[in-house]
Amino acid sequence: MRWLIRKVAKKGKGQVSFEEDVHYGDVLTIGRGADQAVFLSDLRAAIEHARVTALGGNKYKVESLITAGIRINGAIQKTVTLGPGGQIEIGGTRIELLAAPQDYDAGVEISAIDKAELAAEKEKARKPTSLSETWLSRRMPAWVLLIATLVLFLALPMAAHFSPSVSNILSATPLPSRDAWSAGTLASAHHFFGSDCKSCHSEGTKWVKDADCLSCHGETTKAHADPAVFHLPALGEARCAHCHRDHNGKNGLVREDQALCADCHVGLTTSTAGVSKLADISDFGLDHPEFKVSLPAWDSTGKYTPERVALSPDIEENSGLKFPHDVHLDVEGLNAPDGNRTLDCASCHVPDAGNAIMKPVDFETMCQDCHALTFDVTQPERQVPHARIQEIIYMLDEFYANRALQGDVQDAAAPESLRVRRRPGQAPTPAERQLALTWARDKARQVGESLFTGRACTVCHAVTPGRTAEEPWMVAPVRVAGVWFPKSRFDHGSHTTMGCADCHKARESTASTDLLLPDIASCKTCHAGESGGHDKLESGCVACHGYHEAPQLLQVDLQKPD
Amino acid sequence: MHESPLTFGGYRYLWVALALSGLALIAYVVHTPLGAPPNGGTWLGYSLGTLGALLILWLLWFGIRKRRYGRGIGTLRGWLSAHVYLGTALILIGLLHSGFQFGWNVHTLALVLMLAVIFSGFFGVFAYLRYPALMTRNRENATRDAMLEEITELDQNSLMLADAVDPKIHAIVLRSISRTVLGGGVWAQLNSHDGSAAALESLRAAAKERDKGAASKKGDSGKTMVMMVDFLAGQASTDKQSEALRKLIDLLSRKKTLAERVARDIQLQALMEIWLYIHVPLSVALLGALTAHIVVVLFYW
Repeated sequence: MRWLIRKVAKKGKGQVSFEEDVHYGDVLTIGRGADQAVFLSDLRAAIEHARVTALGGNKYKVESLITAGIRINGAIQKTVTLGPGGQIEIGGTRIELLAAPQDYDAGVEISAIDKAELAAEKEKARKPTSLSETWLSRRMPAWVLLIATLVLFLALPMAAHFSPSVSNILSATPLPSRDAWSAGTLASAHHFFGSDCKSCHSEGTKWVKDADCLSCHGETTKAHADPAVFHLPALGEARCAHCHRDHNGKNGLVREDQALCADCHVGLTTSTAGVSKLADISDFGLDHPEFKVSLPAWDSTGKYTPERVALSPDIEENSGLKFPHDVHLDVEGLNAPDGNRTLDCASCHVPDAGNAIMKPVDFETMCQDCHALTFDVTQPERQVPHARIQEIIYMLDEFYANRALQGDVQDAAAPESLRVRRRPGQAPTPAERQLALTWARDKARQVGESLFTGRACTVCHAVTPGRTAEEPWMVAPVRVAGVWFPKSRFDHGSHTTMGCADCHKARESTASTDLLLPDIASCKTCHAGESGGHDKLESGCVACHGYHEAPQLLQVDLQKPD
Repeated sequence: MHESPLTFGGYRYLWVALALSGLALIAYVVHTPLGAPPNGGTWLGYSLGTLGALLILWLLWFGIRKRRYGRGIGTLRGWLSAHVYLGTALILIGLLHSGFQFGWNVHTLALVLMLAVIFSGFFGVFAYLRYPALMTRNRENATRDAMLEEITELDQNSLMLADAVDPKIHAIVLRSISRTVLGGGVWAQLNSHDGSAAALESLRAAAKERDKGAASKKGDSGKTMVMMVDFLAGQASTDKQSEALRKLIDLLSRKKTLAERVARDIQLQALMEIWLYIHVPLSVALLGALTAHIVVVLFYW
């Protein structure tokens, strides 16, 4: 087999010269050895570097004789079969396979690789040596993140504000919607509509309006927060949201700080130009005056008009009732009809359904067992009702009229005709009937007198002679249980860890005029103001008083003079 | 004398940052918001928020300022010092602004991004204070280009020497040249890896095998005179080759040292730069989150 080996030499300025050689054999050896068909002086070539076998039909098999492989058509390979045009690169030499030239069976062209080309090749193979040459980038991720944050956290929620359908779509996906705007946990009462920001933020770029709050809280008394009533600059613009700032936790909506009240209630005389008579209070523990109690009182027409009095040991309560607590709470017990019975507070004082105050004392269930309203010895089981005077008189009239008409009256003072037993079918004469009626009326009146002024009613009630014949007696009005401190909130239910006697000294009380209410010193054994809470219960103003609960505000006093 | 960004101007900006933090802290402690826990919606919250937002914008401006080296107010070193110290003060100002209220929302996102940017910046400060000295020590007064050039030269020389020994050694050296890779992808750069050690190992192994072969040959020889002459001639050439081999090992050892040094140089440079690829994009993301945060707060008053 005849090989054409053409060597190309470049001579500068684009001039090229050729040198041709002939090689005989199937195999063309390439290397740095002297015996090689293609001799390469390059040190990067091995002694026997590669072998090309002509397979005939313009096909060549190229084999690498070194383990690292050789660069064939730009890729490192070991053995490959190629057609004409294939290029083998060893060191600085390129060997191109030719289509069999005329008169030859195979051919190769050997040329030196251009220096610039070599340098470019080297540069291409060079690995990056600084991070800026790698895929890492600062600008690209910066843009991506900027756009992502603006789209996800600004544009999408903003779209949800203006379009309910976008809002619905977003809430069905994990994409952030307006919940990503929430500035913190809402008050728990607001959770049920919390995902609809517009319930409160009805208008963008505007403050939450009072109308937004009042759409639910329409029944709230403005009380202190009524700008038509209060024109004190310290009350601010009296917006709901001025005090009620949501997104501050589940319990963060109601102000409980002392400053809410103390800001104004210190120096009120000065700020109202002497109109307000209220005492200065800055802190429950420091300067809260003695409690004022609403003592039961009635005006001349009998209307309940409680009297506001500061608690002191010598004030007396006028409940309209006579009741010595010490007698009823005797530890030895009481002689009840069914034997000895020991009473305690709960025997008479039962909390109402809300546990806050006590139910009124009920005569029928609590007193009548012992204090029976019997009136006739011949029928000891009959009692008058614990009711209005006229009802009692009516019942007595009926009872004795019936007795007189029945006859056989067991009363020595009764006329003879009434004391005989009446036989069946024997009708009384008109004279007898008249006599019976007169006796019955007199008897009823006599028994009534005895009940009201002697035995029964006066045990507990103050009875005075009546002004009319229809109502011969008057019983003083009674108020046993009620709200003593209407300007504050007191809840018996939240004081169940205490015993009754801790606050109410009932066992030592001999008369119902004793006011058994605890004074401020008693409360202060456990409660301190906002500042003194290290060993006591911190109690700010709103622990007892309500900003929006002031039915007796001195509104007129603070009206701005026009 | 070299002045680090931390000590610039007699710690001028450290004092500024401390004063700013101190004032913010005192205001936070003294201020009792009415009716709510401390939060961004009080007058102090808005004040700290405004201060923080202005600081963030100013800190971001550093990215532009540093590209205008000599132009603008102050020196770039002063700007960097202020950037570091005021950026650190921003941690406290941001947290006090939030009133330590956190949630899954855009507001906390801005806070978290801000903290991530600042803490990546802390690594940057560490890198700038530590790595330049390490790089200087590592280079031993040479430049990276000089070291690379020396490696190329060493490659040439070792090829020549290897050629004098035998084709097998030549192949090993040739392979070692192609296997020595400096630089590469992000991970490769940060990992300081080069392939030169393996080549030296295989060369040492080959040299050992040759020595063993020579020794066994020695045992067999010495039978006849002719053999003796052969042996002497062989011995002489073997000695020459051993010499070349030792030189070759020396060259490759030197190359290994150089390659490792260049790889370490690349690694230190990469470490000094890598944090910026977090710091910069996150700071721009912070700009987005901050914009959203402010717009939202003003939109839903």
